[in-house]
Amino acid sequence: MKRIARLTSLCVVLLVAAALLLPSGAWAEKEIKIGVLYPLTGGAAAAGRELRAGAELAAEIANTAMADIDMTMAQKAGIQSLGGAKITLIFKDHEGNPTLGADLAKKLILDDKVDGLLGCYHSSVTKTVSAVAEQYGVPMINGSSTSPSLTERGFKWFWRTTPHDTWFTKDLFDFLKGLTEGQAKGVKAVPKKDIVTLASACEKTEWGSFVSALIEQFSQEYGFDLKKSLLYAKEAPDLSSEVRSLKASRADTLLFASYTSDAILMIKTLKAQKVQPRIIWGQDAGFETPEFQQTLSEDIVGILTRTVFLPQVVKVKPIAGQVNKLYKAKTGTDLSGASARSFTGLQTWVYILEKAGSTKPADIQTAANTIKIPGDQLVVPWTGIKFSTSGKEIGQNVLGSGLIGQYQKGSDGTVGLEIVYPFDVATTDMIYPFPNW
Amino acid sequence: MMDILFSSLAAGILFGMALSLVALGLTIIFGVMDIINFAHGEFLMIGMYTGLLTAQAFGIDPLFTLPVAAAVGFLLGIICYLGFIKFLLRGPMIAQLLGTFGLMLFLRNLALLIFGPNDRAVHQGLLVGKSFDIGLGIIIPATKLAAAGLSLVAFAAVWLLMNRTRTGKALTATALNPQGARYMGIPTERMNALAWGIGGASVTVAGALIVNFWSVNPYIGLLFTMLAFAIVALGGFGSVPGAFFAGIVVGLITELPGFWDFMTYTFEFDWMSDIPMTSFKYMWVYVAYFVIMVVRPRGLFGWKH
Amino acid sequence: MEALKNAFDFSDFPRSDLIIAILVGVAFLIFPLFPYSAFAMATMIQFFIFSLYGMGWNTIGGYGGQVDLGKAQYVGIGAYTTAVMLIRWDIPFWFSMPVGVLLSVSWSFIIGYPLFRLKGHYFAIATIATSLVLKDLFEVWGFVGAARGLEISPIKYAPPDFLRLIFREDVYYYYVIFAFFLLGILYMNWFRKSRLGFQLRAIKDNENVAQSLGINVHWAKIKTYAIATAFVSVVGSFHACYIKNIEPEDTMSLNLSILIALMAMLGGAGSLWGPVIGAGVLIPLKSYLKEWLGASAGLVGIDLIIYAAIIMVISAAEPRGIWGLVEKLRRRRSR
Repeated sequence: MKRIARLTSLCVVLLVAAALLLPSGAWAEKEIKIGVLYPLTGGAAAAGRELRAGAELAAEIANTAMADIDMTMAQKAGIQSLGGAKITLIFKDHEGNPTLGADLAKKLILDDKVDGLLGCYHSSVTKTVSAVAEQYGVPMINGSSTSPSLTERGFKWFWRTTPHDTWFTKDLFDFLKGLTEGQAKGVKAVPKKDIVTLASACEKTEWGSFVSALIEQFSQEYGFDLKKSLLYAKEAPDLSSEVRSLKASRADTLLFASYTSDAILMIKTLKAQKVQPRIIWGQDAGFETPEFQQTLSEDIVGILTRTVFLPQVVKVKPIAGQVNKLYKAKTGTDLSGASARSFTGLQTWVYILEKAGSTKPADIQTAANTIKIPGDQLVVPWTGIKFSTSGKEIGQNVLGSGLIGQYQKGSDGTVGLEIVYPFDVATTDMIYPFPNW
Repeated sequence: MMDILFSSLAAGILFGMALSLVALGLTIIFGVMDIINFAHGEFLMIGMYTGLLTAQAFGIDPLFTLPVAAAVGFLLGIICYLGFIKFLLRGPMIAQLLGTFGLMLFLRNLALLIFGPNDRAVHQGLLVGKSFDIGLGIIIPATKLAAAGLSLVAFAAVWLLMNRTRTGKALTATALNPQGARYMGIPTERMNALAWGIGGASVTVAGALIVNFWSVNPYIGLLFTMLAFAIVALGGFGSVPGAFFAGIVVGLITELPGFWDFMTYTFEFDWMSDIPMTSFKYMWVYVAYFVIMVVRPRGLFGWKH
Repeated sequence: MEALKNAFDFSDFPRSDLIIAILVGVAFLIFPLFPYSAFAMATMIQFFIFSLYGMGWNTIGGYGGQVDLGKAQYVGIGAYTTAVMLIRWDIPFWFSMPVGVLLSVSWSFIIGYPLFRLKGHYFAIATIATSLVLKDLFEVWGFVGAARGLEISPIKYAPPDFLRLIFREDVYYYYVIFAFFLLGILYMNWFRKSRLGFQLRAIKDNENVAQSLGINVHWAKIKTYAIATAFVSVVGSFHACYIKNIEPEDTMSLNLSILIALMAMLGGAGSLWGPVIGAGVLIPLKSYLKEWLGASAGLVGIDLIIYAAIIMVISAAEPRGIWGLVEKLRRRRSR
């Protein structure tokens, strides 16, 4: 009797288990699902919020008719070539963990049956997520990960809209060189010996370690003396030995590749230890988030950062201003490099879908490889979007460009970014050297 | 170049003194009842949050929150003992390890739930951001100096408690010989709870001090647990003076990158610059632990096996 | 032959247990034939992986009574060996996996010798220390990609590749790890009845007495540790081929070591089914809790709080884990 009861309960358990394991039913049609993977919690959560808001805004504009935005996707509601189908975004939080990202990507592809992916900010997560997408032949667009290797893997299902770190780092050295030649607005030519000693501190995963290597490579090319290059853990609660090490190197130019919480900590520690270089530069990411600006307020005046977008761009690009107005109404802050690129990433999806006229992966692939989005459609100050289809890099947008901004105090007392490079679009005089703490 | 050396020395010693206080709690608990508390670092983390939040809530300087932190730690220790640890003691050692692990995970994730995963740090305070420039290019942050000083005071207080008061002597007696102590009429149960109370209080006070210069997040406990274990092992399980000296030693070990830099620049050994010492800061502590355990398990001052 | 017979001999378990085991085994076998979600499949694979980790841990931790909290380093050695050999020299899994075992076991001998002179808590902490040291070293070692880790390209080899263990669909991985799982159980069944198994039990009971009976305690522990290491390393190699992306923070973290020990202890250290039960309870619990609760940002960590609470309750009430509970209930009923 007992044994039968046990067997029966076991069978019941197995049946229930089987029921739980069945996937949920298919959803309604007329809807295009894009899986979006961003770090919504964890050390880069601040950036994650921006990224999410940027993508959501782009989807909103695509899905509704907004006559006052000069983009073709804003003119009518939905994707016209697909009968007005609307874009639905499914957000997943990868917490900055590459394995989790890959897991979530698999779920999005196999269980949620998304038509494509967008993400992931952290280059280390983009690496694994794109590998999953490649395996399953699902198209993925990357808007903000800048590690060069991502487009050098020969993947056929991966496209990246943002320029990558090789460009950006080269920009930095061109800028430094220009500084020594007196090209920087408002600054007399700086003798090279004043800024020739460099030290770098980069976070150690995929993104930072490549930036570190690029800095090494370019310092040699441009004749700079790299005294120290450090790698550190982005979640480190204390960076005082790292900063001491930087101080000991006596470098005049300090270069960083940091995410949000470590960027804040790094600057605080630099200040606490009274490290006084002539130039402080950050490779975007943490150095651009609102949290960085809010936590450190006036301490950041004089810090340079690579950026792809800053509020000043609206002066030269009215379309950016239109979108920025909507963005500010939605989130209370201006568009930044992260949100602008996330916006552009989703916008690219919309244009590709429009061109493909179908959600079949092969059609999307063809459309992506042949599309050319003109610069006047974009909020970012690029020439346009066109992906490379041969050579060492595949799927890389070749029409992008970067900016270098510097935090300065505006006439209204708030601290914001001004363009200092390229020199011909500089919006104001550069502050040099870095002011005393 | 000497400023690099002295900066690192100063940083190491000051940090070490704060660490000693962290380890103090662990060694007392171990001394009295032979249990390793894997949740020790989590107590520290709670102390850090207590210090931070009390300061923010009442608008007072974090340094004045120490009594609050001590009270919280004391209560926490006693509650943990009476509510949980007591039952663990009956079981085999595996269960004890398992149990304090569980406690560690529990506290850590409770903190995660309540406080969120983001770093929080002290931004305002009497001493925050100020430092003493004692010449030769050595900068000593005022917060670290205060932390070291106050931890010295705390140490002295605990030492006095253990050696000069009746309760303290009763505790020591229980540590040395629980059976004998019981025959002498010392209530061992109460002593155990007290040990956890004092242990808990010292580590939360350490936390309230450390939060002045380290940011806190729910995951920070483990690192300090490991450092505390290393210190207690080095100094000798159960020895209070041992914890003090070992703490300073460990603090200096974490400053190894600084000393390495000093050597690199003084002797112009460029190859040394290529070795990323800052990435292994804590590794050397673990190596030291391993070596000590194998070579001299008693530690420097220990009297337990 | 004797050994093989021993491996298949489950007769010391009550019949009902064996029937349940066979039913469950069959369920596992036919699971992929029913429609399943990617989530469920991933959870099942994780279950097998952790069962195997747990079984390995159980040899030294359960039967041996030495709580080892540094198993993750061997996962790392196994995973990295396979990954490096595949990426650099195109050596398939079935060759690189034994090499990984060899390296892991060698390392285990090197640190095992001094390690086993310690006991109890000291041993446990020392295992944590060695694991962290190795992880830190891997993080700066360029040859294995430092902190960036290694990536096995998903497009370089045409799946399904049985030699290199590269597949597109998870179901292939499922059956491979299931096969390993069955082998693992058979091995553990043999182990607990082997001479080493008995020696360990004697040591666990009372080390001094065991020594006086002529058992070389130190050596027995080291050998067992090597076995545990081999188990973990094999699965580590599999892990590299399955996940195709390994980095020290992920693959060799302390969290992993703790998780492995936890599952085995929860299920019942020192018993054959314990690790499997432990994994069977905790892995689905972890996955589903995370799905249901952890997703919304406001409830991060609840799944682990429940975990931790379960652990605390079991350790205080029934340190011999779930299996210990089962046995206790049985004994009580049979009276």
